Amino acid sequence: MHNSNFKQAGFLTRFYLRKDWFRIIVWLVCIVGLMGVAAGKFDSLYGTKSAMKSIVTTLKTPAMVSLFGPFTAQPPYNSALIYAMEMMVFMGLFMAMMNIYFAVRSTRAQEDSGVLELIRAHGVGKHAPLIAATAELFIINLFIGILEALSLIAAKMDGADAAGSWLFGLGLAAFGFMFGCASLLMAQLSDNSRGATILSYLVMGLLFLLRMLTDVQNPDYTWWSPFGWIEKLAIYETNNWWPVGAMLIGALLMIMIAFYAQAHRDVGAGLIVTKPGRKRASVVLAGPFSLIFRLERISFIVWMIGMLVLGASYGSIFGTVGDIMKTNPMMVQLMGGNAVDAANRVVILNFASLLAIVFVVMSTIPAMQTVMKINGDERKGWLEQIHAKSVSRLQLYCSYIAVALITGVLGLLLGILGMYAAGQSADVHISLDRFLQAFYGYLPALLVVVSATAVLAGLLPRIQTISWLLPAYGFISLYLGGLLDLPDWAVNLTPYGWVNKVPLHNVQWDLALEMTALALILFIVGFICYKRRDMVEN
Amino acid sequence: MVEKIVEINHLQKKFGKVQALEDITFDVRKGEVFGFIGPNGAGKSTTIRVLLGILRASGGSATIFGQDVWHDAVAIHGRLAYVPGDVYLWPNLTGGEVIDLLLKLNHQKHSARTDALIKQFEFDPTKKSRTYSKGNRQKVALIAALSTEADLYIFDEPTSGLDPLNEEIFQQNVLQLKQQRKSILLSSHILSEVERMCDRIGIIRQGKIIETGSLDEMRHLTRTVITVQTNEPVSELDQIDGVHNIKEDSKQTNKVSFSVDSEKIDAAMELLAAKGIVSLQSTPPTLEDLFLRYYNNDSQGVKSDAQ
Repeated sequence: MHNSNFKQAGFLTRFYLRKDWFRIIVWLVCIVGLMGVAAGKFDSLYGTKSAMKSIVTTLKTPAMVSLFGPFTAQPPYNSALIYAMEMMVFMGLFMAMMNIYFAVRSTRAQEDSGVLELIRAHGVGKHAPLIAATAELFIINLFIGILEALSLIAAKMDGADAAGSWLFGLGLAAFGFMFGCASLLMAQLSDNSRGATILSYLVMGLLFLLRMLTDVQNPDYTWWSPFGWIEKLAIYETNNWWPVGAMLIGALLMIMIAFYAQAHRDVGAGLIVTKPGRKRASVVLAGPFSLIFRLERISFIVWMIGMLVLGASYGSIFGTVGDIMKTNPMMVQLMGGNAVDAANRVVILNFASLLAIVFVVMSTIPAMQTVMKINGDERKGWLEQIHAKSVSRLQLYCSYIAVALITGVLGLLLGILGMYAAGQSADVHISLDRFLQAFYGYLPALLVVVSATAVLAGLLPRIQTISWLLPAYGFISLYLGGLLDLPDWAVNLTPYGWVNKVPLHNVQWDLALEMTALALILFIVGFICYKRRDMVEN
Repeated sequence: MVEKIVEINHLQKKFGKVQALEDITFDVRKGEVFGFIGPNGAGKSTTIRVLLGILRASGGSATIFGQDVWHDAVAIHGRLAYVPGDVYLWPNLTGGEVIDLLLKLNHQKHSARTDALIKQFEFDPTKKSRTYSKGNRQKVALIAALSTEADLYIFDEPTSGLDPLNEEIFQQNVLQLKQQRKSILLSSHILSEVERMCDRIGIIRQGKIIETGSLDEMRHLTRTVITVQTNEPVSELDQIDGVHNIKEDSKQTNKVSFSVDSEKIDAAMELLAAKGIVSLQSTPPTLEDLFLRYYNNDSQGVKSDAQ
């Protein structure tokens, strides 16, 4: 290329790929593995006609539509069609998360750490780093897309053809790339990597909710949300290729804006400018607890609003979900009005039990992030001066744990309250106490996961991030577990699986108490490990 | 008996198999400025982090105010102020907020002295920390530490990012603390700074303290450079044991410069006096000479005579 703005882009792309190769492999194994394993299982799951029929009925209920997208295929059904419907939105979510991760990592995070300044000081074009980040995303997505397609072809599901499998893989790749490019743009707007990640998730979350709401009302409107485009691929049915085109155009548009934004700003600056702040600390900012809370303030607010909105959006479709007449008019004729009410109630509570898993896993995320900051902040050198003050390690540890627990517990509560409040619009009235069973039931699971994270943070700070396996696996095993017919032991691998179906059933108080005690012990073990060791050197 | 504020005895620290500190022994006395010098990676910051209870010692003992640095860390820290070598601040707090917070963590308040320091260092406390340069981040830590009422001040290369004007302000403030009989542990590799401010010095090399003492005492261990012009030629100089590097001036006759071991100055002077001294200039060894001498030895493994 003659234009010096793009000089060394190829070299940088290779460099970025090399820098991230291990992380790319991890994501790749998780995503492709999940797809392949599920695909391998589907024929045995829905092999019989009756199994097929009952799952199609389930998938057509509004509750399932809100979670997985609409089931639009026409009979005759086969396992490939069901697979496509169950996995599409779900895998799209993972692809988008992976892309946000790498997009921010290769752009704003580089700028935050000052590496970009070093790079730009060399014979590197102005746009080369962003080109390289875009190229990296493109290559990762293309590669994963191809592997996904190959794994689907290899799984040989009943009804799966090569054309559909290629569309599945490449469609997910294009979808992921579109979200990656959106994240590249967010990295231009915000002037720090955390802000860029929060903005990206905000955009993704809103589009996901819009998809959910439109799917339940009328799938035609789902075109309004780019997140819904992925449903329009109609895989193994008509194999629609042109949403892929729409995604790529969307991606291109976002990249162009990102480049324009980058060309009009300085290195290190964002379009959302950081304003000067207080000259003196407020009275509130006075100790480690208030410091950590203050640092987490923005992400705390975003999470809380997010959980409330998420809960409310799901609650708002209770009316549709809990309307058996729509999905099964025969049943209403057979049962009396009261029986229908009771049945509707069960359907809603079943749905709420599944949602409770979503809420508890979601609210574990910020709590775990805060716990792990006890080492993350250390590595950044932020705590060195705190250690030199008359602040004990117990005080510091407890401060992080306290902020983590407040965030996690409140998040879970707000999700459930949001669901309850918006669920009031449904004809079937269910009391707040009933919904709160989900809160009391899952709270101990949240505590155990957060305390396990604390043990890792105290004992093995360098590999503390492996604790993410708990919520990730917990989510997959419980959210998809019912559909995949996982054995009990596989569901019980995470504390989330120990909890019974709340709020459909009552809380098992003895179990809840035991789990809380376990969490308390783990928190103490974590502290003892933390107190006895050296602080992490940066 | 002088009161010892910091006492370190045969301190050791291992990171896995790496022995970062092998044998550190020194003390800081009340009312003195102790200079802690050594090259990068010698173990200065590790020693300080052990003193602060951030790292746990693998052997030996260290106390501050007579209390164990690991077990009684919190009590000790209540009477101590610290400026780290690399100052990292919470990016979304302003400099002013950080200063106040650091004061509050030691149960102290933003005082008139804090304001005075902010003015002296010409520091803008309203900016978010992520926008500060290295020098400005260092100012945040310095202002907070210098306005803290404490008995021991620990500075780890505090002026590495400061311009000469601010460095001067820092030095003045440290001298003021010294006048108030405060104790100061100053780690540095800016030797002129150490030379100017420190009462005693400890030199660290590869995790060991190889020399402690006042600058005068240390000078005693090394050589003075003498430039002299005499009436008669002094060819017998090279016969005196302890005289090295004799160089004759090519332009002026009977002018010669040489370096001499401190204990042999007497003998050299007797000889020179007998030859009739016209002019004499003696340069005491600078800390830099000392430093280089130790470290050249280090790289060659033996004491070299090339001075």
